[in-house]
Amino acid sequence: MRHPPEDGTPPTFSRRAFLKGASAAAVTGTVPGALPTAPSGPTSYAPGSHAITLSVNGGERRLEVEPRTTLLDALRDRLDLTGAKKICDRGACGGCTVELDGIAVNSCMVLAIDAVGMKVTTIEGLAPGEALHPLQEEFVHCDALQCGFCTPGFVMAAHACLNKHKNPDRATIQHELSGNLCRCGTYGRVFEAVERAAGRKG
Amino acid sequence: MRPFELVVPRSLAEASSMAGKGVVYKAAGIDLLDRLKERVEAPEKIVNLLGFRAELARIERSGSTVRIGALATLTQVAEAEVLRGGGFGALLESAGEAATPQVRNRATVGGNLLQQNRCWYFRQAAFGCAHNGRGPGCLAQEGQNRYHAILGQDDCMRVHPSNVAPALQALGASVIVQGGKGERTLPLAELYPKAPDARGAEHTLQPDEILTAIVVPVPGADVRSAYRESREKLSFDWATTAAAVRLAVADGKVRECAIVLGAVAAIPWVAAEAAQSLIGKEPSRANFEAAAKLAFAGARPLAQNAYKVPVGQATLADALEAAARR
Repeated sequence: MRHPPEDGTPPTFSRRAFLKGASAAAVTGTVPGALPTAPSGPTSYAPGSHAITLSVNGGERRLEVEPRTTLLDALRDRLDLTGAKKICDRGACGGCTVELDGIAVNSCMVLAIDAVGMKVTTIEGLAPGEALHPLQEEFVHCDALQCGFCTPGFVMAAHACLNKHKNPDRATIQHELSGNLCRCGTYGRVFEAVERAAGRKG
Repeated sequence: MRPFELVVPRSLAEASSMAGKGVVYKAAGIDLLDRLKERVEAPEKIVNLLGFRAELARIERSGSTVRIGALATLTQVAEAEVLRGGGFGALLESAGEAATPQVRNRATVGGNLLQQNRCWYFRQAAFGCAHNGRGPGCLAQEGQNRYHAILGQDDCMRVHPSNVAPALQALGASVIVQGGKGERTLPLAELYPKAPDARGAEHTLQPDEILTAIVVPVPGADVRSAYRESREKLSFDWATTAAAVRLAVADGKVRECAIVLGAVAAIPWVAAEAAQSLIGKEPSRANFEAAAKLAFAGARPLAQNAYKVPVGQATLADALEAAARR
């Protein structure tokens, strides 16, 4: 089983359907873990697939990744957690923001293997089931989005901001959200939503 | 990204022994992943240093120095209690304003010092130049050079991209590197080539050497430092010019001064003459502006970046004023 090519070759059918099928197949196939290069040598992940376990949204998830697979691709293509968006894929837009041990990072600039042993929180893990997190409720209340594509990244960056600051002022919120871009220009309402959520929390 | 092998060494000595052709070291990988995704680099093996975070991410004061582990994140540096106070201001500001919160939360200070330059010709697979080894000359010399060097250029117009390097250098920092032959300490300035050119590397480390820590002398009680940079956007942008300064004022006169400029030359640019010119003078805006003029006296702008001279002068004068007011 191989991952789809990364060179942009168009898949002949739905990429996600293909990946779902592929990961189901992986369960029955042999899944090699990382093997030491010598009996007592360093751990080596050779090019190709490796089974790892990630702690995602409070659960342990086993999945297959290559050494080059980013956390973002692992979340989206392996675990079907498509809330984090792949927009610039260079750490320049914030659309892929998730929390690692409660701290906001660009998941596109983290190797999936480097996230092993850390607590990954994605937008899907903010609130249980169909319930909304207060931040999400305030985004709705303030109409803090237009096309909505950047919104999961903004909500996660805002969540990390509120982890860090109990009662942030506008300048602090702007500073903490300065790693997220919104091409629709909804910044003002986003800041308002975060302020309201901070007020509810406090 | 092309496929690669990812190796997790069990010790720094083992990591060092893995050096060789087609092997690169990785900390957080913010800069490296970008180059891999752009396919300007395709190493066979990446040695992952991130596992040493427990030992190499501490920021501790011991005696008259603060030792910053190379794997400390920019956020950890910007928020470190032991760096509070006016003396370290330049370091806190440079680390706290770099890139974005998400990048600062992940990027390491060692990686920031050793990241590769951002020249758009150098960093794109479509372009070949003498510095990336795929072409004969420098495309920026006659091409799009709005963000390129104005000082000390030879045959490559790249600028040094690090925010924290000028600040650390102005504060007199040293770096500790570990290689196959053991550990050595060198002044931060010596981490970069004296005469940077197209064919030379961007740093002076041997292939088996790993940057493990940065040692910063604790500034004296009357020492203040500041970092200022100009950008096209308020946040989330690379500096167009940057200035880190260290200043001590006694009896209304400048007693001590160091100036290191960023984003204007291929290495953090020491403006020694300008710093010296302030000694014994009053810390006034007029004197700071005169020193800033001197710092850029040797500038040789390219077709599109002459703006960097007046903007760089203003940035430096602002940094000097900010330090003096602390």
